[in-house]
Amino acid sequence: MRVALLTLIGLALFPFFFHAIDGYAGLATQIVIVSIASIGFNFLLGYTGLLSYGHAMFYGSGGYVAALMLIRVMPQHPNLWLAVIGGTLAATALALLVGALAVRLYGIYFALLTLAFAQMIFFVVEQSQDWTNGDDGLQNFPTALLPVGPYTIDLGTPLPALALGPFGNLSDIKLWYVFAAVALLGVILGMRALTRSQFGEVLTAIRENEERSSLIGFNAAAYRLAAFAISGALTGLSGALRALYDGTVAVDAVGIDRSGSFVIYTIVGGVQTLFGPVIGTGLIMYLEAVLSAQISYWRLIEGVIFVAVIIFLPAGIVGTLTRKAAERARQRRALLAESLRARTGGPT
Amino acid sequence: MVALTQALLNGLVLGLIYVAIAVGLTIVFGTLRLVNFAHGAFYAIGAYIGLVVAQNWGLGPALLAAPIGVALFAVLLDRVLLRPFYGKDVTSQILVTFGIALIVEETLRLIFGATTQQYPALAGLATSVSLGPFVYPAYRLLFAAGVIVMLVLVWLFMEKTDYGLIVRAGVRDRTMVQLLGGNIRQASTIVFALGAAIAGLVGAAASPIYSIAPGTGFAFLVPSFVVVVVGGLGSFWGAVLGGLLIGELQSLTTLAFAPAANVIIYLCMALVLLLRPQGLLGESEVIRQ
Repeated sequence: MRVALLTLIGLALFPFFFHAIDGYAGLATQIVIVSIASIGFNFLLGYTGLLSYGHAMFYGSGGYVAALMLIRVMPQHPNLWLAVIGGTLAATALALLVGALAVRLYGIYFALLTLAFAQMIFFVVEQSQDWTNGDDGLQNFPTALLPVGPYTIDLGTPLPALALGPFGNLSDIKLWYVFAAVALLGVILGMRALTRSQFGEVLTAIRENEERSSLIGFNAAAYRLAAFAISGALTGLSGALRALYDGTVAVDAVGIDRSGSFVIYTIVGGVQTLFGPVIGTGLIMYLEAVLSAQISYWRLIEGVIFVAVIIFLPAGIVGTLTRKAAERARQRRALLAESLRARTGGPT
Repeated sequence: MVALTQALLNGLVLGLIYVAIAVGLTIVFGTLRLVNFAHGAFYAIGAYIGLVVAQNWGLGPALLAAPIGVALFAVLLDRVLLRPFYGKDVTSQILVTFGIALIVEETLRLIFGATTQQYPALAGLATSVSLGPFVYPAYRLLFAAGVIVMLVLVWLFMEKTDYGLIVRAGVRDRTMVQLLGGNIRQASTIVFALGAAIAGLVGAAASPIYSIAPGTGFAFLVPSFVVVVVGGLGSFWGAVLGGLLIGELQSLTTLAFAPAANVIIYLCMALVLLLRPQGLLGESEVIRQ
């Protein structure tokens, strides 16, 4: 409950924080959307130990399928729910297919097999001119509307005008942000429940000692496949939302740099933590937006940050902070116990 | 028929580049158990050193400067950054070497610009030789011969010298080699520098044939990983067989149905990984790493 409330407050304040710095209007929404993919990537790496080098295939397929549904299936009545669900399901199906083959492999072999599939999909997307418009990608697709009960909502609508001094105006924020933030909140809470469930515990057990877990009777490959599918589904959801929000999707969504970006976001923020992927995504995307406008070698800085985190903060930003906090709490408890013992004259 | 022969020759040249990069990857994995995503960076650095030297002093000095410069860079990398990662899990290694590859690529972009560099028109590069019904660039044939000679030298190093013995024994049982007094550390540094030098030399030698851009290293690295996996991680002959196979496959597919050329090699790798995960000539012990 406390986590839900704090996340809600954080998400509610997040876009205003942006305005106070320099006002990147759409960036807050993009960060919130891409964070969902990073959470999906982190679930796979953190809870199965499998490093995927091809998550862009899920992100891209989510985006392309959502866009194609609007263009080909329902151009007259573009329904956002259906487009998002379609994109997510397509990514999930792809994850089940690739996962069925990949979860038998480990380490470098798993990374390279996922990379191989992502590269195949990249070239297929690039070559399928008729469907995907090749290098240029899909643009100008119908604006998807969101039917909720009797209302039909256009997420491009700004919130009511309300001047907030240094924090800009409430109307700077569109309904898209609210929608994406609710989705992220749901994903964070779902992920928290999932990792604390029996399913999460079995996954951890398999990661730590697969042989022993198998002998107890858990089907390790099935658990890993389930984790891979969940990870792919979240990444596809993120890709679908991003395509609909941006109103465009192009081949870079399935490219190798995209796959690498989820790796970077997650590692910088902190693998195996709930909020690490969100913080990492926010930090790197924010720096990218601010710095790439001013200096041409932004990606060099990104690389240096990434390597510095791996060497100096292997647990990532959030991982290191929570570890420090846990350490301090432990020390406080030890001190307290000692002073109690001293006062009561008990055994030291 | 002419087109087919030309495609086969092109496939040989491309395949030999893959072989040279893959041999470095595979011997480094064998000794250091290091999965090196930065290996493509050695190719790119070699290509740029070669370009700069060739523009000023000609091709010969370029082919000398590139491997030496890249080997020095590799030793520095080994000593300063990579050492703590040798004993660690594969994931950390992939991550840190991926980060290094990113930094090298962007540094090259910063220095030389993002555009594709043209090689200086040196005397002799444009010469063609007649091969019966068609002519073929002489430099490509020379390049292929040179790479083959280099591979033979590397093979002799691995088979006939004490360092090679330590390296090959290290692939089988690292601890035993150390117990028997083999200096695996020193051998590792030499092998790492050697693998890098090969990639650097090939980068410099191949740049009159293929274009040079900051992303070239990674562009060659990914197919080279395909080669290593197809041939078998840690196997010298696996890298040779895999490289020639992938090079020819790519070249022949370009001839038959160009849009599939980039897909086919990944399809090939996926099939090998699923049917014979240790690779065509690999040993099954390494696959669970």
